[in-house]
Amino acid sequence: MTSTAAVGISAEGAAGALVASVQDLSIHFKTKAGMVHAVDGVSFDIRDGETLGLVGETGCGKSVTARSFMRLVASPPGVYAGGKIDFWSSEARAAGGGPVNLLTIADDEMLEIRGNRIAMIFQDPGKALNPALSIGNQLAEVFLQHRSEELLESFGPNPPVIIRRAANQESGKVERVLLKLPPLRSKAAKVRGEVEDRVAAALAETQIPNPRKVMDRYPHELSGGMKQRVLIAQALACNPDLLIADEPTTALDVTIQAKILKLIRELQQRHHTSVLYISHDLSLVREISDRVAVMYAGRIAEIGSTDDVFRQPLHPYTRSLMAAVPSSRNKRGELAAIEGNVPELIDPQPSCRFHTRCPYAAEVCGEVDPRFLRHDFEHGVACHIYDEPAELGIGPDKLPSYERRTR
Amino acid sequence: MTSVQAEWLERDRSVGDRPVMTLLGVEKYFPIKDGVLQKVVGHVKAVDGVSLEVRRGETLGLVGESGCGKTTLGRCISGITSPTGGGIYFRLSDVDRAALEDILAVPEGDRTSEQRKRMEQIESRHLVTALTGDAWRAYRRNCQVVFQDAFSSLNPRQLVKDIVGRPLRIHKEASGAELTERVVSLLESVGMGRQHLFRYPHQFSGGQRQRISIARALALDPEFIVLDEPTSALDVSVQAQILNLLHELQRDRGLTYLFISHDLGVVRLMSDRIAVMYLGEVVEQGTATELFERPRHPYTDALLAANPDLDADVDKEIEGLEGTVPDPANPPEGCRFHTRCPVATPICGWEVDDAVSWLSVETDLLESMTGVERRSNFDATLAFADDDSAEAVGKAISGGSMPPAMSPALESMSVEASKVLLKFRPVAPVELEMVEPGHVTSCVLHTSRRREL
Repeated sequence: MTSTAAVGISAEGAAGALVASVQDLSIHFKTKAGMVHAVDGVSFDIRDGETLGLVGETGCGKSVTARSFMRLVASPPGVYAGGKIDFWSSEARAAGGGPVNLLTIADDEMLEIRGNRIAMIFQDPGKALNPALSIGNQLAEVFLQHRSEELLESFGPNPPVIIRRAANQESGKVERVLLKLPPLRSKAAKVRGEVEDRVAAALAETQIPNPRKVMDRYPHELSGGMKQRVLIAQALACNPDLLIADEPTTALDVTIQAKILKLIRELQQRHHTSVLYISHDLSLVREISDRVAVMYAGRIAEIGSTDDVFRQPLHPYTRSLMAAVPSSRNKRGELAAIEGNVPELIDPQPSCRFHTRCPYAAEVCGEVDPRFLRHDFEHGVACHIYDEPAELGIGPDKLPSYERRTR
Repeated sequence: MTSVQAEWLERDRSVGDRPVMTLLGVEKYFPIKDGVLQKVVGHVKAVDGVSLEVRRGETLGLVGESGCGKTTLGRCISGITSPTGGGIYFRLSDVDRAALEDILAVPEGDRTSEQRKRMEQIESRHLVTALTGDAWRAYRRNCQVVFQDAFSSLNPRQLVKDIVGRPLRIHKEASGAELTERVVSLLESVGMGRQHLFRYPHQFSGGQRQRISIARALALDPEFIVLDEPTSALDVSVQAQILNLLHELQRDRGLTYLFISHDLGVVRLMSDRIAVMYLGEVVEQGTATELFERPRHPYTDALLAANPDLDADVDKEIEGLEGTVPDPANPPEGCRFHTRCPVATPICGWEVDDAVSWLSVETDLLESMTGVERRSNFDATLAFADDDSAEAVGKAISGGSMPPAMSPALESMSVEASKVLLKFRPVAPVELEMVEPGHVTSCVLHTSRRREL
């Protein structure tokens, strides 16, 4: 798959500046059976202030793509096999600087970005919080890690070394004892107070009632929705440029899910954060995203504005996927299932990954990687129907019109 | 073989509208144990007085959020656990049901010996927990389950042939080559085949594993299958395959389903009738179309409003619910949904706990509370460390910031030194009432209790 076309789409159609640009990203996993091409030449952009929905089924590589932004893919067995992720932090942009490649920057630079400029909300709030830390202490870590300078402002330009070390979480055993004794005790309490103020403010922003009380609680004392609010507070604590939400509501009930979704949207608008929203749920993605990228078996099948993709899906996979969602218009037993299963991604041959299940597949689909084409303004697709209609005997104009889900 | 057993074992599927499962006031309480001696200190009321009926050939959908008791109810019906109260009856005829309900209405001590005998007779034939011998075996073969997680419900050390063939072996239906052939035909009926016989569960995808589970459930040609979230672990494309398969099997074999799910879209598609559960109780029940188009309970409304729908208007935003599900060990009085209900009224069951949780969320005044002396859920004394805090709480309550639905329910409030006496108007538990043929709800806005407003 060539990536130039995909990049071209964004460059020409871009409405605003970019926060991140993924180009030809490939992440493979080494297994006994061979190389699993979990992410295989993925390209997309995230624009400043937008929500990009990344939608796809289990194992399509959407979570791996997201994790690679923070370099959280364990390596080995993961291998960053190619491509790059350019990231423009707000500071760099303000200073007129260029992007950094998240895949190659040094570890200490990554530490500065992770949790600070790029933050992530994970799927299972029960597992993402440390059960041994109170909520207050858990959130304090973010500020101690990334905002220690601000915490020390009240001490003037030269705070005591031991306090500076405490605010940077560098205190040794002896120092920790000293911090409990006068005269340092009051100074340490001052830093602690500063941290707590910020934690309480962060929690209050996610509409948690009585944040000071919640700070003393432990994760097991909170409900799932509450825990997810805490994680959102933690993620947005440093006002990141990019928020990655990896199925943040999958573990929650629908009534709570609606609340969390609304909260993410509100906070995003208030802080002007860009969001990469990952989900397997099409209707949810339609609800929250400005643009949508549909992934299948490690590749982007289709990308476009939410309106375009849901009103006029181009890729046969997108069409099938939407038709498979049960709705009031379906008759029982007549749900349009996609036959077959997702292909194995071990050392795959060049082909359209969907050709084994595609109703329109021709010979060329099993032999050649489809190119990523710009169909119309901002709407791109990787499918031979749009590239070589002659080979398939079916062109875009011959596809059945898509009527089911319109306004 | 006696005639009773003969009746049990008959495979007649011609009768169209006959109850397969009848539930009368089913309760399942799990004990909470505490201390060194593991004394029972309370009960989690997972299922609390559910009455339902599943009729032959239909699909009854059961929806609700996690923790509402829908899975526990499914497990009770399929005989995996026994209910702690009420009765689950298999193939209880309408005549017997009427007789039984008449007898049950009479307090236990006042029943005549004739009534007791009649009841014993009905129970020995139909009450699932009282079945023995052949009747029990007949029930077990006619009532099967497909579980949510096809990863943990298939034995990883057994071959597909053994997994699917096991029910046949246990019920001595087939053995040897015949068994293999029966298994092959079962696999074929779920879209798999002979080539899958000698494989282990881990060699299959999630969808295929669910197909194996379904084949196993079909092995004894049951009448009734409990489908406990059969597709929630699957992707939409595979979910569609399984849903189509389930429908085909139902059509071809005249199966009756209890379809448990939290996914409204799926339940709507698959069910003829739907029961909505909240905190161990059924709050509304009706035909699928009725329930979705004219919901008569605010909880059903809330579920529908929160459900993202691909067909809905793009501009329509989904709406969530405030608060969290209350503790099932200590469920709210009156309507259990009143603590989160957007249209709650003064007669919905406001109690002392509601006032306390309102105060603790909205104010810091309860920090100095030292104890609660409870005469009932509606009547209690809050004790505070000093007179001033009691005074402040009294002001907060009478200050008019109490939720508008709650304050008229407060009968009296007085401050005595460091104590605050709270008394709410007691209300009776809500009952399901028919609002239209085949449509019942427990919401006071729609039942006869509307007049009290």
